[in-house]
Amino acid sequence: MRALCWEGVGKLAVRDVPEPRLRADGDIIVRVRASSVCGSDLHLINGYLPAMREGDVLGHEFMGEVVETGPGVRRLRVGDRVVVGSVVACGACWYCRTEQYSLCDNSNPQPVFTEKLWGHSPAGILGYSHAAGGYAGSHAEYIRVPFGDIGAFAVPEGVPDDAVVFTSDALPTGWMAADFCALKGGEVVAVWGAGGVGQMAARSAQILGADRVIVIDRLPERLATAAGRLGVETINYAETDVLEALREMTAGRGPDACIEAVGMESHDVGPSYAYDRVKQAARLETDRLVSVRQAIMACRKGGTVSIVGVYAGLVDKFPLGAAMNKALVLRMGQMHAQRYIPMLLDRVVTGEIDPGYLATHPLPLEQGVRGYELFEKKQDGCLRTVLHP
Amino acid sequence: MTSNATRWALLGAGTLAAAGVGRVVARRRRRRQPERRDGWYVVRRGVTVDRPRDAVIGFWTDRERLDRALAEWASLEQLDGDRWRCESIDPADGNGGWRAEITVDGPGVLRWRVTDGPVPQQGRVELVDAPQGRGTEIRAELRYRATPLRRAFGLAAGNEPDLALRDTLRRVKSLIECGQIIDTRHDPSGRSPRQERATDRVREKLSAGGRA
Repeated sequence: MRALCWEGVGKLAVRDVPEPRLRADGDIIVRVRASSVCGSDLHLINGYLPAMREGDVLGHEFMGEVVETGPGVRRLRVGDRVVVGSVVACGACWYCRTEQYSLCDNSNPQPVFTEKLWGHSPAGILGYSHAAGGYAGSHAEYIRVPFGDIGAFAVPEGVPDDAVVFTSDALPTGWMAADFCALKGGEVVAVWGAGGVGQMAARSAQILGADRVIVIDRLPERLATAAGRLGVETINYAETDVLEALREMTAGRGPDACIEAVGMESHDVGPSYAYDRVKQAARLETDRLVSVRQAIMACRKGGTVSIVGVYAGLVDKFPLGAAMNKALVLRMGQMHAQRYIPMLLDRVVTGEIDPGYLATHPLPLEQGVRGYELFEKKQDGCLRTVLHP
Repeated sequence: MTSNATRWALLGAGTLAAAGVGRVVARRRRRRQPERRDGWYVVRRGVTVDRPRDAVIGFWTDRERLDRALAEWASLEQLDGDRWRCESIDPADGNGGWRAEITVDGPGVLRWRVTDGPVPQQGRVELVDAPQGRGTEIRAELRYRATPLRRAFGLAAGNEPDLALRDTLRRVKSLIECGQIIDTRHDPSGRSPRQERATDRVREKLSAGGRA
């Protein structure tokens, strides 16, 4: 079969690879119908998470059709159209039983790297490097999904593939970000990042009760999409001082909750950003913390900072003093896909959430390299490339 | 300052710095060394299984499940009511490795002793209820004889009793909780056979040992 493989830092290629086979009773094989690129893939492609091996198949946000099931699979049948959570979860450990699926104890077969780096190993993730278990990813014609009954969900007819695909990752991540904010109704929520996850976080915050949502980015077309599609207010940080603008928009209070949906390669302008770039390039820090710093500084006293942008290691100039003395609540984590997907599918079916507009660039798998180039360089108004094998 | 004095000053500063760094490294190494008692290394490891104690004991007494669980890496033979013989299987060639005798000492307590193997070792496992209804703690104490050099080589090669114990505890937890040990060795990739072998070696390094 054909698959998009990592070939070294900054290099991708579509190659012939063997087809996956069932390996355990609970496995299913899915024929991939739609597989989205994701901002966190860029961290892997660009070598910021140094656990990729040449030939690894990328991709973790996808949907498709079940073509084979292991003898232990009960809930799914061959022919089912399914969306699959990117996080692999066994469904049987304490973390899974308490719906903290991205912390599953048993789904990362290679836990030593993350145990040394982070103290404990969280769940495995499909197509997400050997730190996350070394699973083959979804930018391929077929993919093996372990614990199929736990991680794959049948999709009702009538919802297009390019909308369903985002209930795999971008939408549950955005929802969890808003869920972390524990909104009671009437709050002002600021969201850093107008990419797929940021826009889904903004929509989720609206549904969960935010009165005003302010989205921050530097790309006018993304901000325009967010404003047009979701009715949010926007700040272009390339033109405006974000902290000043947020202070003014909230009459001095600051947003009640700040969602960071950017991650370790965040951008800014000015000398401190240049300093971060140099440190990261020299591997003196692994992650650039620009947007988290802003979120902490902007957040109102006693507010919540919710981080769903992906960070891998060590950061510089973390404003712990501000967080401590303003009594902020910090919440963060990889999303618990299996907790949110069924509820989110219902909301997509009713039209309450329409993530389909994120798929600005549907492309065949053979053009996967071009798809990532469009996405990374933000060319042609690309919000998300969705590959169709 | 003459050039000779500069040299002596630099040498002195360098020596002091090296001694300081050496001391910090030695202290750190000492802190991470397992306890030594009467020539034995003694390590204690534990893992929490999200199942009641009876269910964990049930895993060990369900011969069919146990045989299935051990199929790839050990065989088990019952000697009498409380004693078992376990023989490890080398996954590379399927041949036998070390042999151990396992004795059940009471409900939730067992001992093992390697009777034929490269490293003399013995140990004890105890099952304890975890707090807050979190299941069962499997607490293991392992004693093995090795010189520091042999231990260092064993750690580097991924062939060391402490690593094996941690690996085993994690496998047992996974088998009891979800009935399988997840594996990605045969997942598709764009690697050549040579690259795949190199990646499998990395997988082994990232799988062996761990924090359990």
